[in-house]
Amino acid sequence: MGKDMKRYRLGAMIKNGIIYLFLVIFAMAFLLPFFFLLTGSFKTSSELFAVPFHWLPKHFTLENYEQVFTKIPFFRYLTNTMIIVVLNIVGALISNSLIAYGFSRLRWPGRDKVFMIVIATMILPYQVTLIPLYLMYTKIGWVGTFLPLTLPGFFGNAFFIFLMRQFLVGIPKEITESARIDGANEFVIFLKLIMPISKPALATVAIMSFMNSWKDFLGPLVFLGSDRLYTLSLAASMLRSNLNPNWELLLALGVVMVLPVMILFFVLQKYFIQGITMSGIKG
Amino acid sequence: MIRKRRNILAVVAAGAMTMSLLAGCGGQIAPVETVSVETTESNTTSKTVAMGDRQIDVEVTDIGLSGSFTYWSAFTGDSATWEQERVDAFNEAYKDLGITCEVQYVPDGAGINNGKLLSAIAGGTAPDLLITDNPTSAYQYVAEGSFMPLDEILKQIDLDVNSFYDGCKDVMYYEDQCFLIPQDTNVIMLYFRPDIAKECGLDIDNPPTTLDELDAWAEAMTVADGDNYSRLGIIPWLDSGDDAFVLPFFFGADPYDKENKKINLTSENMVSYMEWIQSYAKKYDPEKINAFSSGLGGMFSPDHPFMTGKVGMTFTGNWFTGALRAYAPDVEYTAVPVPVPEYGRAKSSTFGCNVFAIPNGTDPEKASLAALYIKFCEQGSVNDDNFCQWRSIPVIDAAFDDVTLTKEGDPMYAMEREIAASPENGIPALCSVSAELSTQFQTLRENLIYDTSLDPATELKTLEEQMQAEMDSK
Amino acid sequence: MKKNRSGKLSEYSQSKMRKKEALHGLLFVSPWIIGFFTFTLYPIISSFYYSLCNYNVISRPRFIGFMNYVNLFKDKVFIKACQNTLYMILIGVPLTTLIAVLVSLLLNNKKLRGTGWMRVVFFIPTLVPTVVACLLWIWVMQPDSGIVNTVLSYLHIPGPGWLSSPTWAKPAFILMMIWTCGNAVIIYLAGLQDVPETLYDAAAIDGANFWQQSLLISMPLIRPTILYNVTILIIGVFQWFAEPYIMTEGGPSNATMFYSLYLYQNAFTFFKMGFASAQAWIMLLVAMVIILVLFKVFRFNDTEI
Repeated sequence: MGKDMKRYRLGAMIKNGIIYLFLVIFAMAFLLPFFFLLTGSFKTSSELFAVPFHWLPKHFTLENYEQVFTKIPFFRYLTNTMIIVVLNIVGALISNSLIAYGFSRLRWPGRDKVFMIVIATMILPYQVTLIPLYLMYTKIGWVGTFLPLTLPGFFGNAFFIFLMRQFLVGIPKEITESARIDGANEFVIFLKLIMPISKPALATVAIMSFMNSWKDFLGPLVFLGSDRLYTLSLAASMLRSNLNPNWELLLALGVVMVLPVMILFFVLQKYFIQGITMSGIKG
Repeated sequence: MIRKRRNILAVVAAGAMTMSLLAGCGGQIAPVETVSVETTESNTTSKTVAMGDRQIDVEVTDIGLSGSFTYWSAFTGDSATWEQERVDAFNEAYKDLGITCEVQYVPDGAGINNGKLLSAIAGGTAPDLLITDNPTSAYQYVAEGSFMPLDEILKQIDLDVNSFYDGCKDVMYYEDQCFLIPQDTNVIMLYFRPDIAKECGLDIDNPPTTLDELDAWAEAMTVADGDNYSRLGIIPWLDSGDDAFVLPFFFGADPYDKENKKINLTSENMVSYMEWIQSYAKKYDPEKINAFSSGLGGMFSPDHPFMTGKVGMTFTGNWFTGALRAYAPDVEYTAVPVPVPEYGRAKSSTFGCNVFAIPNGTDPEKASLAALYIKFCEQGSVNDDNFCQWRSIPVIDAAFDDVTLTKEGDPMYAMEREIAASPENGIPALCSVSAELSTQFQTLRENLIYDTSLDPATELKTLEEQMQAEMDSK
Repeated sequence: MKKNRSGKLSEYSQSKMRKKEALHGLLFVSPWIIGFFTFTLYPIISSFYYSLCNYNVISRPRFIGFMNYVNLFKDKVFIKACQNTLYMILIGVPLTTLIAVLVSLLLNNKKLRGTGWMRVVFFIPTLVPTVVACLLWIWVMQPDSGIVNTVLSYLHIPGPGWLSSPTWAKPAFILMMIWTCGNAVIIYLAGLQDVPETLYDAAAIDGANFWQQSLLISMPLIRPTILYNVTILIIGVFQWFAEPYIMTEGGPSNATMFYSLYLYQNAFTFFKMGFASAQAWIMLLVAMVIILVLFKVFRFNDTEI
């Protein structure tokens, strides 16, 4: 028995070693593009285009980063992005917590059927509503403004409603019951009792909303016209389609765009994972 | 090969940014080129204003109106910098008359290629003036009634467009009314590398003028490397060869019959163009020459196959000289008129223009003010550094005399002038479905390249019928 | 999560209280109701109307019945776009899922230490803004100087032209799809965490190897999660837009002309709003079928109310 166990352990160790090696190779492959992005952003134009590929820059330069801040209106693009991002986060926090409260802690006829509709819209492809919305915004002169990218955020997002609701139904009834019997205003209960303990869910919503609008491309592409209103993502894609894409600059810009998200992720990992796990939760 | 489905002919109009590139053109003051005819109605005076770091002489026309107008410019990057200098110069020149131009940079052809302009017109937020690098799509807008006819306004501001090249008039006029005004134009040539030609034993003093000679040169320059190629003579679908109707023009094809409103993709000339393209696809496995055009940046990156020596020749426009100067200053090159088959259009070219337009519904007074900007931009002094850097050419033959390059006796510019003067020149396939027609045609060509078993005549016939139906349903 | 059996509690029997609560409920969800009508329902209905029209934004919509639908199925590019999308669904989605599941199974192996950092590694590509990812992958896939072909050349494999080759462009996109499978990995890992360790131990003592354990214990437990992720991936493929738009513009030879890209092109390049709306509606119908399947599988309405 003991001998068998030992052999089993040895075999397991070898097996684990193989699995580990396999995973490391895989992980390396996943990291390669990042490696390229980072090293490429420090290369000069001629090194970037060099054949064969240079793994590390021979002539390390910071000029590309300098260009990001001087050659293109980086801060204007950043401000535009931040306006959209902040308005979306604010909108998402306010609207989704209210809506989810209405769907979880208050009862009204047909509530659960309506909630089914909320869930159903979650899987509605954006493209289906895109054209009519574009035409609608066209008629009221909103195309070429931030409104189409920010205003809808104040009317709830199916996934965030779902996420918040999942959290709110988990809060014991007793917490609000006494207040309600005391005749407290429903809105006061929501604001004073429920919101303070919902911080983890709110944080998740805020982060996911941030990610959505930080990464969004199609929205700005369809609804923003002039260079003055461009977001970072849209600006990057427009620079690429210029006759001279200025690739060194673009790679540096890429690093600058990825970095804040990475930092945010490492600081608030828990909430990121929570949001994603929730999205995969089975009902 | 990754295709950039954008009209690249014209964006290159500008860019005084890279000052070092302006060899021989810097600080000089070009004399005023007069395109206007004196009339009693308006009052034209001369003024010196700053454009960038130069002082230029410009004309100021007083039409008795003042105010501001909005302007969408399609220019991006360095060209946007140039545009800003031009707008600043205009605003300085017209300050005393109380006229200001408010510019916005709207990429993708001033919103023409992506629906922004259409949306703005429909929503009542359109600019009073725009310039776009996509004359083909702009023409489609004209056909759909989105732009204002300019004949009256041109009279009012005293801008004579009669002397413009006939080739430009294709795009300017729709049903005898003038809608679009070109700012400048470009010509397409064959660029070749004399060093490679010499190495292959070709006589560089007698570059190819016919299609057969071109094929022979291409053959001679091609170097096989085992299963692959290390160099090709020419890739006929690279650079301007990638544009939908540029090379068909040289084959004498007319994809659209304006008189009868018929799309014509099945002419002998068109079919023979496609057969010629396919002959290259059959000869050289297109999958193997993919890597030649990496798609990183088209012609404006140091890995352009002409710069790296992977192709010996390419069809491209005058702007390529600017690109070579910036990214491969050591590469030798020679430009010659595009070689054509005996039934083709020799020593001529398609025009690639940047065009001005005024959207329909613009307030008439604003439209007049906007037209003053058009007039301002037609001046040689305003355009001179554009011409110097990108070798773009004026839209009037006489205006060549005022360009610094002409005065310096630049032989290539003289050749460009000669090509520009050809009565054959024009802009092909301008119609109400031109944007889609171009895209579909390019796709069809790619299909024929990658599947050489397809028959060009049959495929072209199918597309012709499809696009004709599309057009008739409008 | 706990069941909230509030339905039959006596304190709510008073109709006045109930009415008040219902009123409040509606008040709280009113932003959603307004949003739903304005940004979802109205667009869906008008999209259907537009799909029956010839409409170019400038002139008025002209009713043409189901001609757009008929023309779509006669349109070679549309067929090609459907084929390309199907290719991604039939090859890209299973491959991505396979790799995501495999990676999570391996990462979940409790006997393996030091895999924490790997979870992060597999996840971080999903943090990269799409546009940046596209710019990056244009370089990664470069035929001459790209990292992929450089690595392949070390192994003496001649790399293909990737994005510039009609044959290899779609596989290049699949590689990119796999690169961004981190979300799925996180979801699978969460599902796998629910599997008690003792189950694996028992199976190991019975002589089941890793693969047998995975197949017999893990897979049945995360099957709903897999189904969910596959559904999301399929809908994602239908919406696959930024990548082909930025990286290939549908080329070469329409090899990367995907469903949404063609929809965008029809709507915003050719201004065939009716035609594009018809395309959107076909997409909606397909998505609806997928939703129905999803509901059947996960039965949202049975839980958590």
